[in-house]
Amino acid sequence: MREQLEAIRNRAMAQLGDDASAEQIENVRVAVLGRGGELTAIMRGMREVPAEERPAIGQLVNEIKRELESRIEALQERQQRARMERALAEQRLDVTLPGTRIGRGRSHPLTQVAEEMIGLFEAMGFEAVATQDIDDDFHNFSALNFPPDHPAREMQDTFFLPGGLLLRTHTSNGQIHVMQRRQPPLAVICPGNCYRRDELSVRASPMFSQIEGFMVDRTGIVTMAHLKGVLSEFLRGLFGAATRVRFRASFFPFTEPSAEVDISCVLCGGGGCRVCKHSGWVEILGSGMIHPNVLRAVGYDPAEYQGFAFGVGIERTALLKLGVDDMRLFFENDLRFLEQF
Amino acid sequence: MKLPLSWLKEFVQITADPDEISHRLSVAGLEVENIERHRPAFAGVTVGRVLSVERHPNADRLSLCEVDAGQFGRFRVVCGAPNVRPGMVAPFARVGARLGGARKSGEAPVSLDEVAPLQAAEIRGVRSEGMLCSGRELGLSEDHSGILALESDAPLGTDLAQYLELDETVFDIAITPNRGDCLSTVGLAREVAALFGLKLKLPKIKPPAVSDGECPDIEIHAADLCRRYAGLPMGGIRIANSPAWLRRRLELCGMRALNNVVDVTNYVMLELGQPLHAFDLDKIQGGKVVVRRAGDERRFVTLDNQERELRPDDLLIADAVRPLAIAGVMGGLDSEVSDTTTRILLESAYFEPMTIARTARRLGLRSEASYRFERGIDRQGQVTAISRAAALIRQLAGGHELAPVRDVEPEAALRREIDLDLRRVGALLGVDVPRAEIRRRLISIGAAVHTTGKERLGVIAPSFRPDLNEAADLAEEVGRLRGFEEVPERLPQRPAQIITRDPARAFVARTRDTMLGCGLTEIRTIAFVAPEDNRRFPGLDGGSPVVVTNPLSTELSQLRTSLIPGLLGVLRFNLNRQATAMHAFEIAKVFHSTSDTPSEGQRLAAISYGDFIVTSVGAPPIAAGFFTVKGILEAYFVSLGIFDQITFAGIDTARAPYLHPGMAAEVRLAGKMIGVLGELHPQEALRFELSRNCGLFELDFGALADYRHPPRAIEAPPRFPAVRRDLALVLDRDVPAATVIGTVKNVQEPLLESVEIFDVYTGEGIAPDKKSVALSLRYRHKERTLTDEEVNRAHEALVGRVLPLLNATMRQ
Repeated sequence: MREQLEAIRNRAMAQLGDDASAEQIENVRVAVLGRGGELTAIMRGMREVPAEERPAIGQLVNEIKRELESRIEALQERQQRARMERALAEQRLDVTLPGTRIGRGRSHPLTQVAEEMIGLFEAMGFEAVATQDIDDDFHNFSALNFPPDHPAREMQDTFFLPGGLLLRTHTSNGQIHVMQRRQPPLAVICPGNCYRRDELSVRASPMFSQIEGFMVDRTGIVTMAHLKGVLSEFLRGLFGAATRVRFRASFFPFTEPSAEVDISCVLCGGGGCRVCKHSGWVEILGSGMIHPNVLRAVGYDPAEYQGFAFGVGIERTALLKLGVDDMRLFFENDLRFLEQF
Repeated sequence: MKLPLSWLKEFVQITADPDEISHRLSVAGLEVENIERHRPAFAGVTVGRVLSVERHPNADRLSLCEVDAGQFGRFRVVCGAPNVRPGMVAPFARVGARLGGARKSGEAPVSLDEVAPLQAAEIRGVRSEGMLCSGRELGLSEDHSGILALESDAPLGTDLAQYLELDETVFDIAITPNRGDCLSTVGLAREVAALFGLKLKLPKIKPPAVSDGECPDIEIHAADLCRRYAGLPMGGIRIANSPAWLRRRLELCGMRALNNVVDVTNYVMLELGQPLHAFDLDKIQGGKVVVRRAGDERRFVTLDNQERELRPDDLLIADAVRPLAIAGVMGGLDSEVSDTTTRILLESAYFEPMTIARTARRLGLRSEASYRFERGIDRQGQVTAISRAAALIRQLAGGHELAPVRDVEPEAALRREIDLDLRRVGALLGVDVPRAEIRRRLISIGAAVHTTGKERLGVIAPSFRPDLNEAADLAEEVGRLRGFEEVPERLPQRPAQIITRDPARAFVARTRDTMLGCGLTEIRTIAFVAPEDNRRFPGLDGGSPVVVTNPLSTELSQLRTSLIPGLLGVLRFNLNRQATAMHAFEIAKVFHSTSDTPSEGQRLAAISYGDFIVTSVGAPPIAAGFFTVKGILEAYFVSLGIFDQITFAGIDTARAPYLHPGMAAEVRLAGKMIGVLGELHPQEALRFELSRNCGLFELDFGALADYRHPPRAIEAPPRFPAVRRDLALVLDRDVPAATVIGTVKNVQEPLLESVEIFDVYTGEGIAPDKKSVALSLRYRHKERTLTDEEVNRAHEALVGRVLPLLNATMRQ
């Protein structure tokens, strides 16, 4: 019995040489270790072995079994490694070829700039409210202290619509709508599109966008000093902490006092260049303390309430921020322009 | 408004340099847009007097002149000008002078650096030591017919550039509509004086000579439109050219010189801001001037010889018989001052701003006068201005007053006193301004101020500042004169408080993110379109387009009803620039009109053209088409969590005639139509010259945003496995996939978890009017693993019910 086992072992080991093929290995496994294999048969015939030899034979069978199994495993592992190495040697990509392109769109530069601006105001506690593009004379002009036929109306050439309506010339109509609906304290911005009768050109567009903002509270709470604080903070947030801000007296029918706001030139930093027409300053927005007539128009008592308001053009801000000099780029939608954002 | 520095200096002794003046004016609300620096086109030219004129011995057309050039001495000069006369005062170029004037008519002056200095020369045997100059040689005018005659009292030997004030700085100032008072040299001088703390010297006005002649009667029949009318008749007028200094100032201010009388009226307007008009007195009939509405008068010929159509409310200046002028806008051809005029009537009036604005705008006649009336002139400045003009006309046109000024003012102007609570100034500006400073500042702009209480001032605004009506206006004056840089920066003190966020804005942001993630680029188009665009691309709302009353052009005469034409326009634009694909979206407003009332809606629209997904090199790309855009929409609805409430259905082609009728669908949310998608109609593709398929969709974004999304129920993932059974059905070719799915789901087999179509087959082995649809069904029980028998039972029962409902058979 012992000899028979040794013979099985020797034969099998001989067949499991280093160059044994996968098929040979499998044949050996089936012939020796398989269900109907030689070792299995011997284990099954163990009853016929004298009882005193059984432990030793059993041990030997297990020993041979383990030896063959580990030999097979080693051979298979070696072969698998060889196959993998062959494959690795063959499988070579030109990693410099382009990948499968899953498109990713770009948001419009005006969206990006507007969102940044809105975000800054929201961070300062302003609430963004959407208002309408089509409006009436009252909300776009009269309530904002533009009397009929007043020359100030000509600063903003209006598109008129049937039914006595018009396309808003500024987002300031939002001020009126919100104040009519709510009571102070208010801190609101109204972003949106506006329309003026200008041909599309380097500097103008018949449709453009603005952010109107205003803050109203009891007399003495929201002053011109707060207007300066909020707008300076906003402009430094948008254009960088080193930006200098200048308030110049001006005129808007709906504010009194009125101020235009300049920032130190984004290109030259104030030294003087083409962008700032060598003045060192560029105009960025209009602002002021809400005119008492505007407060009256929405039913607030100007002796009780006061506040500030401002309007900032998104296109103009975007031109300055992005360092481009042609308004048409925003509305032509040339992909070669848009894909840079 | 142009402001020559030399003129400013007549009224305020300012020594600051022009850049400083410009800066101070600009930050105080008078924005200097440009500083023009004028330099003469010559050097070394002085004022000289021709003492004698003799014939040149060797030339008939030349003269020999003796010229007295003051401290420079006397010179002998050869002159070819026909107008040279003894006693004449003229520009004299000494040897060494440089003349940069044009050599020929129509040419531009030359830079002085390129001009050789004048040399003494032999002219036909006689030595000439200098030259008498024409206007053209000095670059002062086009005139080369003779030498330039200067005024006889011009000081000899004076540098001509200095004498004519040619070294000049002119500020170009943008005047805001509220500051009509600054449309005058004196008004600006007042600002400069107030800003620099200097004294304002008003022009000295010589009182008119006493006379007791006749003045036409003045009748104001429209006292609501004409508050005051002053008239002054003058005689003995000799119409001629104005002196050089006056012409020069008008030209620096952008006006053309005409003749001494008209020039004086313009000069006084530029100086004091009061527009004046001069009528030929001999053409006024019936001895009276009537200020009235046009009424039945329909036509009037203005002095530019144009017939103007009048409206009944236009304000006219008329005599007893006919109109003479459109008040404040333009005079009439019949009554204007001509070369033969000897007697004039000067007019100085206050017209209501609105009436002048309306008439001037309607007639398209914007004059310097109407511009000032519109913005409101000094309510009380009429007599001062007429006296100033009379004094100048006496001086320059030899005239004299025929009668005293006739001044008609139906109702005296109100004295407006503003009750100024000083605390109000601080409350608005956010900085305390001392009482004394407030007083001083207000006085500096011409206000009368008196104390009315402990914290109060009574302020009477000057008559030339109609913009000052209440405390806020005065606070602005104080603030801007001291400078807004004096106002500190402060941040509002507010309690920590969560701001409300507009859910609509968040919804836009979410939508944008999904679109970007699906490979669509955001674009922005302008809301104006051509009527043709709205006709071919009707919007989802169906209403009629909104027509702009005053469009920029026919091409931009309506508001868009749909975003699709804009997207297609952008596609064409990019294809023209060698793009081969474009995948873009826009979220924007559209407009439509229902029963003549315009209203607005919001849309989300997309376009997808060309290769959509570019796979690796050598593998075929996936081109845009119906299913790629549908896939984007599906991804979007999944991201919103409403996919199971969305259905796609066949479309009524009238709804979107621009879509391919066989490749278009309606999008429904909870059964309600919210949009369309499809491929562009081949006819439109042809029009846009598109060679590939173009996928489009447009959704009613407002309806989507307003949709009340059901709250999401979150479940843990199932713990027991699902069992899949496939089913191949043969059914009528035109049964939509959605019907098949719907029918299976309608059986409501409790174990059925999901059903999906994984293949649709037509062709060999299937009858021509049939198709084979392969479905994959998943069965699952929540609480245990299903046995094969259970699944088979459920599946067979389901198939048994579905087959007759779909009129289908099992595929063999």
